[in-house]
Amino acid sequence: MNVTERNEGNVVVLQLQGRLDGNTAKDFEDKLVAAIDKGKHHVALDLSNLDYVSSAGLRVMLIGAKRIKATGGKFVLTSMHPNVKEVFDISGFTGIFDITSTLDQALGSFPK
Amino acid sequence: MNSLTVTIKNDTTEIPRLAGLIEQFGEKNELPQKVVFYVNLALDEVLTNVISYGYEDDQQHDITVDLTLEERVLTTLIWDDGEPFNPIIAQEPDVELPIDERPVGGLGLLLVKRMMDQVEYRRIGERNCLSLRKKLET
Repeated sequence: MNVTERNEGNVVVLQLQGRLDGNTAKDFEDKLVAAIDKGKHHVALDLSNLDYVSSAGLRVMLIGAKRIKATGGKFVLTSMHPNVKEVFDISGFTGIFDITSTLDQALGSFPK
Repeated sequence: MNSLTVTIKNDTTEIPRLAGLIEQFGEKNELPQKVVFYVNLALDEVLTNVISYGYEDDQQHDITVDLTLEERVLTTLIWDDGEPFNPIIAQEPDVELPIDERPVGGLGLLLVKRMMDQVEYRRIGERNCLSLRKKLET
């Protein structure tokens, strides 16, 4: 799985590509935690190229959300594939994250 | 073809390989994409648990996955020779808890139970056998 990082103003956009599972979750966690610890407290996760997520991936999302919340920042997930959205729905995670359909909506939701 | 048997090693990098074979089985049997997705995710969760926690040694072990499609019911059996372990009696996490209070973990089996119609565990001889049943919508 690939994780790319870029800045959009005061928001860091992390884009995941491929499969987020037990084999790739640790790598994603390391990158997410590194970004937050560097001072990036507004994070948008672009999931448009993610076609699969397991509970290992959900755990990392939760870890990220908790850390960002502790900094007073904002964490938004965007552009989920239907299968990925379904996993969030089944696990009850949809209600605890900020989720938008498009990246533009996500970026527009952060404080300037 | 309406049955498939795959033997994998107790290594999580085998899980994507298994997923590819199940996708092929799904195509050949015209299974709905959603069912294939659910079965693959359920297998990922169960196999990750078995591989991570099921063995007390660090030897290589075989795990066998059997799929059978019969009269619109897809039955998946997972056989391993690890320690006796019944995943069904593991605790479900409380998904109503707010984010701060929610423990990180326990989700995998919740997903399995919600995606499958029936989950059954049996210990048979020296092996664990977990059966996952999914009805295909008509």
